[in-house]
Parts: sequence; structure tokens; C-alpha cells
Amino acid sequence: MRTHLIYALLCSLLFLACDPEPLLLEPSKATPDGVHTGAFVLSEGLINLNNSTLSWIDFGTGDTYSWNRQGKTSFDCFEKANGRYLGDTANDMILYGSRLYIAVNISSTIEIIDVATCRSIKQIKMENGGVPSQPRCLIAQGGFIYVCCYDGTVERIDTLTFKRNATVHVGRNPDGICYAAGKLYVSNSGGLDYTNPDSTVSVIDVESFTEIKRIPVRSNPGKICTDGKSVFVVSRGIFDYNKMDYDCRLHRINTDSDIVTDTYDIPVLNMDIVGDKAWLYRYGSGKIQIMDTSTGDIIQPDFITDQTHIESPYSIKVDPVTRNVYICEAAANYVTPGTLYCFNPNGELKYKIPGIGINPNTVLLTTANVRPADADADFVIQKKTPITKVFSYCPAPGQFVNTLPVCTQSDDSISMAKKCLDQLTTGNMITLGGFGGYITVGFDSPVINYYGPDFIINGNAVTNGAEPGVVWVSADVNGNNIPDDVWYEIYGSEQKAQRSKSAYSICYRKPLNDNENILWHGSDGQKGSITRNDYHDQPYYPMWYKSDSVSFTATLLPSNMSYSNGTWIMPAFEYGYADNKPNSDKNSAFDIDWAVNADGSPANLSSIDFIKIQNGVVGCNDITGEQSTEISSIYNINP
Amino acid sequence: MVLCNKIIACITICALCLPVEVQGQIFSDTIESQTIQEVSISAEPTLGASSISVEKNANQQLMSATGSLQVSDVLKFFSGATVKDYGGVGGLKTVSVRGLGASHTAVSYDGIIITDNQTGQIDLGRFSASQAESVRLVSGPDNDLLQTAAMASQAAAITVSSVRPQLTGKKHDSSAQLKYGSFNTISAQASTAFRVKRNNTVSLQAEWLRTDGNYPYILDNSNSSETKKLENSDVNRFRAEAAWFGTINQNTDITVRGYWFQSEQGLHNNILYIEKTPLTRLWNRDVFVQASLKSALNNRLTLKMNAKYGNTYTRYYDPDQLNIAKVTDNRYLEQEGYLAGVLLYRITNSITASTALDGRLSKLDGNGAEQARPTRATLNASVALKYASQTLTLTGRLNYVGTTEKTINRKAAQNYSHFSPIIGANWLVWPTAGLHVRASFTNTYRLPTFNDLYFEQIVSRDLKPERSSVTSAGLVFENQVNTTLLSFYADAYNSRIKDRIVAVPGKNTAVWMMVNTGLVVTHGIETGFDISRFEGRIRPAAKMSYTYQRAMDKSDKESSTWNHQLPYTPRHSASAVAWIETPVINISCNSIYSGDYYSNAYNGPEYYMPSYYEIGCSLWKDFQTRHYNATLKAECINLTNNQYELVRYFPMPGRQFRITATIELK
Repeated sequence: MRTHLIYALLCSLLFLACDPEPLLLEPSKATPDGVHTGAFVLSEGLINLNNSTLSWIDFGTGDTYSWNRQGKTSFDCFEKANGRYLGDTANDMILYGSRLYIAVNISSTIEIIDVATCRSIKQIKMENGGVPSQPRCLIAQGGFIYVCCYDGTVERIDTLTFKRNATVHVGRNPDGICYAAGKLYVSNSGGLDYTNPDSTVSVIDVESFTEIKRIPVRSNPGKICTDGKSVFVVSRGIFDYNKMDYDCRLHRINTDSDIVTDTYDIPVLNMDIVGDKAWLYRYGSGKIQIMDTSTGDIIQPDFITDQTHIESPYSIKVDPVTRNVYICEAAANYVTPGTLYCFNPNGELKYKIPGIGINPNTVLLTTANVRPADADADFVIQKKTPITKVFSYCPAPGQFVNTLPVCTQSDDSISMAKKCLDQLTTGNMITLGGFGGYITVGFDSPVINYYGPDFIINGNAVTNGAEPGVVWVSADVNGNNIPDDVWYEIYGSEQKAQRSKSAYSICYRKPLNDNENILWHGSDGQKGSITRNDYHDQPYYPMWYKSDSVSFTATLLPSNMSYSNGTWIMPAFEYGYADNKPNSDKNSAFDIDWAVNADGSPANLSSIDFIKIQNGVVGCNDITGEQSTEISSIYNINP
Repeated sequence: MVLCNKIIACITICALCLPVEVQGQIFSDTIESQTIQEVSISAEPTLGASSISVEKNANQQLMSATGSLQVSDVLKFFSGATVKDYGGVGGLKTVSVRGLGASHTAVSYDGIIITDNQTGQIDLGRFSASQAESVRLVSGPDNDLLQTAAMASQAAAITVSSVRPQLTGKKHDSSAQLKYGSFNTISAQASTAFRVKRNNTVSLQAEWLRTDGNYPYILDNSNSSETKKLENSDVNRFRAEAAWFGTINQNTDITVRGYWFQSEQGLHNNILYIEKTPLTRLWNRDVFVQASLKSALNNRLTLKMNAKYGNTYTRYYDPDQLNIAKVTDNRYLEQEGYLAGVLLYRITNSITASTALDGRLSKLDGNGAEQARPTRATLNASVALKYASQTLTLTGRLNYVGTTEKTINRKAAQNYSHFSPIIGANWLVWPTAGLHVRASFTNTYRLPTFNDLYFEQIVSRDLKPERSSVTSAGLVFENQVNTTLLSFYADAYNSRIKDRIVAVPGKNTAVWMMVNTGLVVTHGIETGFDISRFEGRIRPAAKMSYTYQRAMDKSDKESSTWNHQLPYTPRHSASAVAWIETPVINISCNSIYSGDYYSNAYNGPEYYMPSYYEIGCSLWKDFQTRHYNATLKAECINLTNNQYELVRYFPMPGRQFRITATIELK
């Protein structure tokens, strides 16, 4: 009986042993088209799951850019290059100059991405009155990006400053934008009131950036394109729950009169126009029709001439140069990764790339040399612009003072500042001396507040050898090229955690003899000294200072100096200080976003011109001497 | 249920006294459950060795030892069950059994099925652990022939049994409980029960629960993840119940219960780069009156009748919309009338037959002009036959479900009409060791819900009902050594769901998207081990369980998800709980573990969810005086402060503390 039992159990367990393992999609190879270096594919993912992705297909190698994530292959080059996700429901992407612009709808951001590295250089948060405005579609024209947002606005973004500089109100929930004849055409879908959609196309004069007309169309207009002569807009009608389909038509708008001249009884949902041909498809059908846009006739009822069947097309892109047609197909259930198909101009499949991302909605071809960066790799700076001015150099007494840079009897504060500029532009060290000593520097052109780090300060910090200096920034608001504007403190990790003390003052007394220690007293009554050591025998008190005492007021950071295992250690703070982390560490760089107002609130600066660095620690021991911030170079690292 | 409890009672009290057990098996289906439950309170939860399916039971002791605040918490300790938890007190909590999906699990309150035709999923977080005297999960067909047809027609069943008053030797049974926990979680409960005339008992109970729920969590953003605090996560709930337990004559009992549940809560979301606090609110009001009558008409014939009227109101409000009204304000009212009858006939001492018929009328109204406003009439019928001897139990059942549907707007769904069989057997192969072998086969249907069919902007094609079939085989061992009770079970199963309708969360958990994934095949094992000492000054107990589930998408060989594991279904999961009762203090420790899994049907690296575990512990002490019994309890939940998500972007709370004071008047 027991053998029977064991046999029965074995049988039931047997089928567990032979379960197949799931296979992951490996994209097949793309083939070169002779013109482009490759293609970007944007996939929107699913709402509320923050899973929009950007893929890069390299036509040179034929590979889709991939990297290892959780032991498996990921195709999201945005995440790899930026160490963060694109966000929720990236809806549209354009290429303008050397930059990609992506409208992330639910996250309500515009990502401006450097094509060559896929690094985001600016993330613009889109909101009106504190409410996310939900950017949907983008178009570039004349140095500006125009974004239609679901809150019923079109925003204009300057591609030099990356700032929103004007807003036009249009109809409800705009869902498409195109440019023709000096005007922007915006399809007002009203899609969020699905029983009562909008039924207009807004016309915006680009020159004055004002809405000049609303053209009545059938309800729920969506995709809008132009052949350069006319504007074509899809009107989706009201969703029919009995047919489970849209009731789509295609309108032609005359760009001179701005009226609808023709309505074609073609159930088109999406299209792309190149030359005088439009490639169209409808919802729930893989059939691609080609229309002659000059006559409105369907000249080819089915573009695909081989056996390829596309079940659920999600986007279409026709390359104007090669006339290759790229069609993205969503997975049948719209929740798993879709497929990119590339057809030659004759409608024959060249290749298909599965696993491209969930709901792929945009394909962009580029001739740029793309090498997605690696956010995990060491901090790599693409471009460094050095400082051009040193306005003042006021070190506190210290063991390197009068040697870094060398001071002679003839030097004064002006010549010392000049020496500092020479040191800093040749990568040589200067010292700020003890607590409170500072230097003020400036750049020729503003440091723009891009996404992530904007400037870097190199020092001589090594592991357990941090001498942190507090950094302040200022913008030349009055335009006089002199740092007499408001200073904003960069809040590093210690200010953020409220472990620092602001406006702490120390007064140093010049000793009677150069070989005596320099005594100081603090504003809280504390007393101490800068003790002399055997290694440095020059005067520790700045020789060019005329008075017998000197006072500094600065932010006092907590002490990072301690005695451990027979040595003095000075571990670095987390981020936000000069001469704190080693120069190769990404936290030796600074983000202008860290600057705060006097009350600690974010300063929201768009650019800065001046930087002040001030030693923020009081620390002295008999082996390494006093803690003094040292600086070797300061760079604007704007891309 | 009845059978199980009776057997537990037999084992623990009569110490395997065989004649009584046989007696118990034969009459168990006809004995009124109230008396049995009073006996089983002191017994340890055991495995129902004679059951044809894996059966797990949690009494208040186990709920206490597992630190359960909500009924869903204790279900995480059951093998075979996968709890999908959106985190915190207010987060939706649904239970799927053996990879079948939450809507294949019937949930009943005191044996009367709870239906939600709108979503098809019952939020088990709405039942507080203190309102349940026991929670029972049967992950397959049930032996109980007195089951209603609707309960019997589901692949798995959870029964939440309300607290029964204890009036032996006292005038009234009154108690009060106060809980205070992390994130300003406060719960207050009071109940009283008293006799009216000789054989009638009235019980009243009220409970209030509120929490800020604003726990810290890590918002995943690849290498740039940051620690944030949950916003708009407050919950405010109130529940009141009144019940009348009447005895009409020696053979007839009746229970009438009125139930009022009301809640208001915020719904958080976690969209990257959005800094605006969500303002979405959700209101629920669930009111029902249900009555149950059980009568032994003669010594062969037993009748059970259930009736219910339910009224469920839901309001979803989101003021951050970009539509004309700048707001989404959806209100739904689902009403149902339900009538069920079961007739059980004992043909011989070992053969019993039953027939059951359920009728339900459900209607969904809403404030949207375009809403479908469906009305569905459902008829469930079932005939069953059972043979039970000392060593062998055989059960066979044939279910029928038929619906007819009308709508005001939109096209109504087709009418459904399906038959499905269930068979099962349990054989005591080795009586001296208490070793049973069991096997079962079930075939059930899950009808599309109103949301599947008619949800506003969701495209749902002509949906077919999901069809599930489960084949299960295993062994169960239950024995007693001196004062120690030992039990063990291991069951392997193969389940198949055809035309599976899958709910994917939309913008947040109140809005759903429905997709159909074709065929899912699950191979699994569920196993558990219990040991407890039920007598003596020091009484230790431990329970362990382990589940293996390989739930494969077998819809389309060409599809990218072929053979991929179903989302939110870990392959391995386990739980353990141990407690010791001493005259000085009582201590418990509990732990759950889930292996890694995926948040998408495509098991790509972007959707990888790492494994997690949670450990909790509690200390409690009972105080007895002349006038009252009191219990003071301190708990720590998620002791190691593990930060994890069960559902992508719906984080679970970290370490929490809770203090409970209970007082019971003598």
C-alpha cells in the first residue's frame, strides 16, 4: 500500500520537474539603410507604472542597445545613461539639432536628451498653477519647441535656454500638433470627456504666438500632419461601444483659408505623410493604405505586399530619404513588449525587432554618432569650461598660506587674486586656509542649470582626507560682471540634514612672531589656534593682510575629523562641498538646483555667473595641521 | 466547515475515540454549526484530514500570533494562497488560490457568499481580524454537502465566520478593545451579547478604525531611488453589526444579521516626477441584511435557507482631471437580492445526497450618463452525492450556472449557461498513523464582471467566462502523541484556466483595465506542517507552510509571453508562525517569505520584483480578576524594517508597532 502511495505522489510531482523556462525576447538584427546611423524607439509603457523606455537600434552593428539588468537584458538606454527612469507614459519624441525632446505625459515632463550619449541635459517640469499640464505632442520650429499639453495649452520652449517662455490657450485636451504655412495646427480632442469631445482645430500664428482661429471639424480630432500644402487631421468620432470601434474620418484643411475643404470617408486612426503620399492605418486592422494627398485618392489599398500581418499597429513612420516604412506594433494585449517592423518602399519586410518596449509609439532616425553613456561608470565629463576671473582671494591663516600661491613682500590682494587665477587655470593648487577663508570666481558665460551637475570644483581630497568648503553661487542679475548680486548657498548634505550652523564667525589674531601659533576665538566664545608644524615654516598669517586681526563669517559644518587606529581621519560628507570627495567622484560636482534662498527654500536659479568657496570646517591636529580647503580647478561642465 | 470543526473537536476532546468520530462524520452535515463552533474554540487550527481538498483554518489565536489586523494578513500564512496587497490599511487586498486569480475564490461571511459583480474581487482588507472568529480557506472542492450552489461552484472558498457570543453561564458577553499603532492607526471595538427570552440571543458590535497610513517608502527610480512618505493614504472606517440567533424549536435555528460598513480613504499614487499630492478619494458603504435558517426536518432530511439583500455604494473622486468638469466623480450603487436553499438527504448511514439552488438578482447603477446600468439574474444549481465510511470519503457534484443580463445603455452581454463537475476522494490508507490520501478534480466558471464588460473607456471584446479546471492529489497526516498534535499535508496540483480575464491596474487601484490572456497552466505544490501542545501550563505551537507555483502563460506559442510566469505569482513562497503560551506571558513570532516574481506577463528585467520576507513578533499577557478578563498585547510588524513592494509602485509599510488592550466583562 505504501509503495502505491509513493508511486502516486511521484506521478503528481513528475510534471513539476519538466516545466519549461520562459524565454526572453532577443531582438533580431537591423540592417543598414545607407543613410542613417540608427533609430530611436520610444515606448510609452502603461499608465501609472513609470515604465516608458527609450531604445536605440544601431544600424552599424545591427544591434539593439542592451545592458544587463537584474541578470537579464534590458533595452532601455535612457535608464542606463541616466541612472533613472524616463517616467510615466512618454507620448512623443522629436529630434531637433543634436537633441531629442521627449514629452512624458503623466509624469508631466519634457526630457531634453543629448543624442550622442542619451544623457538627459534638462528635465522641464510642465505645470500650470501647480497642476501638471501633461505634455502630449511636440513640434520644433525656428529655434523653439512647441508642446501641446492636455490641459488645453501650447507651450513654447526656447532651445537655447530650455525655458518655457510663452503659453497659448487652445481647446480641450489637444492631442496633435503640426506646422504649416507659418502656423501651428493643434487638434483639440476633448478626449477626457469621451461622451462630449471637442471638435476643433486651433490655428496659432507662430510669429505672434497667438491663437487666430478654431476650425470646426468632426468630433475628437487626433493625429494631425501636413504635406506642406494642406493639413490632414484624423477625427475619431465618438467611440461606438456596440461596434467596439471608433468612427474615424480624415479631413483636409486648406492652409490659406483655414477651412476644411474635404472629408474623406476613410476610417484612419494614424498616419504619416512624406511628399505627396500619406500612409494610413485604422484601429484594429494591420492594413496600411497609401493615399495621394494631392487628389485624396487611395492609390494603394494595402502597402504590405508580402505575407507580413500586423495585428495591432501602434505607430507609423516613413523615412523621407529612403522611403523605408517603420511600423510599431503593440502586443496583442497592449501590456507586454511590442515589435518594430521595417519595410522597404515596396512593402516587403526587411526585418522585425520584437521586445522593443511596451506600446512603442515613436520611431526616430538619426545620422548622429550615438554611444549611449553608462550612468554606473565613473563620472565622465564631456566638456569643461574653466573660470576666467578671480574677484577676491581671502584665505584664513593656515599652513599653506603664502605658499599656495606663493606670496612675496610686493604682493597685494589684487596680485594674489591674479596668481590664484593662474594657478586655477593651470590645474595648480590654492589654499583657503582655516575656517572662513574664501575665494570668489567668475565665468565668461553663464553656467546654465541643466539636469544634474552643472559645475565641478576639483581639490586635493582623498578618501578620509576631506577638507570641505561651503559653496555659494550668484547670477549676474544687474549685468555689471561684478559679483555684487545676491548669493545663494549650495545646500550640501549637512545643511540639508540641519547639522550645520550658519553665520558662525571666527576672529584670527596675527601673532607677534611668525613662529608662534595663531590664536582665534569664535562668536560663541570658543577658542583655539592654528598650530604651526615642522613641515611648513613660512608665516601662516597672510602676508598681504594689513590689519593685526582678521574675521570671517561662514557656515560651520560639523567636525569630520577624528582619531582612529593611530591616525587622524577626515571622512567626506555625502555631497555638496568643495575639496570633499575625490575629483573622480561624481559628488565633486554641483547641481545649481541645490542653491537655496536665505530661508532655505529652493532658489530655482536658471543659471549662475559667480561662485564663492569658503572653508566650512574648524579642525586642527598636531600631525596633519589645520583643515584647509584646497582648490585646483573650477569648471563649467554644461554640455 | 462543519465537518472539519466536528472532527477537530473529536480529535482534541475525545482523543481519537473512533465511534464518536464515525458518528460525527455521519451527522456532521446536519448538526447546527453554532454548538460545534463553541466546542472548537479551544482547539488548534488543523488541516481537516478527511477533507478532499487542502483546507486551512485560522482561529483568533492564529490571527493574534500572526499579528493580523485585517483578515487578508492571516491569509498570507496559508499555503496555496497568493495575496495581492497594495500596501497599508487602505490598499486593496485580494486573494488568489493556486494561480487561478482572485475572482475564482468565493468569499463568504457566515456561509453566505459575498459578491461584487462590478469588479469580481472581494477586498479582504475590509474585514478586520477582530470581527472574525475564524477564517477558513479551502483550495478545492468542499466535503460539506450543505454548501450553497454559488459557494460550491467556485474553485476555492474563503469563509469568514463572525464572532459568536459566548453565553454559557453568564447573562451577557461584553467586551471592548482598543488598538494603537504606528502611523496613527487607532481602532476601537465594543461588543455585547445578551439573551432575549430563553433561546434567543442578540449580539451587537461596533468597530471604528482610522489611520494616517503615511509611512515612508522608497520610490524606485533605478539608481536615483529616493525615500518619500506616502501621501493621501488615510483611512477612516466604521462597522456596526447586529445579529439575532434564534432557536425556533429543537431542530430549527435561525440567524438574522444586519451589517453596516462605511469607509472613506485616500488613494495614493506614485508617478515619477509628479510632486503634487494626489487628492483622489474613495468612499464605500456596504450594507446588508442576511438571514440563515437551518432545520433538521426529520432524521434524514435537513433544510438550509439563506436570504440576503445587499446595497453597496462606491464613490471615486479625483479632482486632478483635465476634463471639462476638472474632476472625475464616479458613483456606483450595486444592489443584490439573493435567495438560496439546500436540501440534504441522508440515504443510508454512509450515503448522503443534496440539492442546492441559488437565485441572485444584481443591479449596478452609476451617475455617468453613458453607464451601462446592467442587471444580471444568476441561477446556480447543484446536485451532490457523498459516500463516507470510516476510511473512505467520495464526493461528486454537478454545478450549473446560468445568467441573463439586461442593460440600459450599450449592448448587454450574452447569456451564459454552463455545467461543471466536481469529484473528490479521501482515503484513510493507514488508520493507525492517521495517514490519508486524497484527490480531486474541479471544473468551474468565472463569469465576466460588469467592469470587464461595461467599464467606461475600456475596450472589452465579447468576453467569454473564464473556465478553470484543477486536478489535485496529495496526502495528509494527522496524529496525536501524548498532548502533542502533529499534522502534515502535501498536495500537488495542476490547474488550467482558459480565456482568463486579467485585471491590470489603471491609474490607481480603483480603475481597472481588462485583458484576456488565453490559457494559463499552473503546476504547484502546497504543503504545510503543524505541531502544537494543547494541554499543560506551557503550550508551544508552530505552523509552517510552503507553496510552489509555476503558472505559465500557454496562450500562444508565437507570443512573447509563452511559458512566462503569470505576473504577481512567486514560484516559491513560505510562511512560519510559532507561539508559546505560558502562565507568565505569551510570545509569538511569525514570518512570511515570497520568492521573486514579475509585475508583467512578460518576464523581462524591467518587471522583476525581488524576493522579500517579513518578520513579526508579539508579546501578550492575560489578566484575570473577579469582574473582568483583560489582555494586553504589544506587537512589532516587519521587525527588520524591510522595504518592499508587493505590487509595483504600491509600497508596503516598514517597521510598525501596535499595542492592543482588550477587556472582557465577566
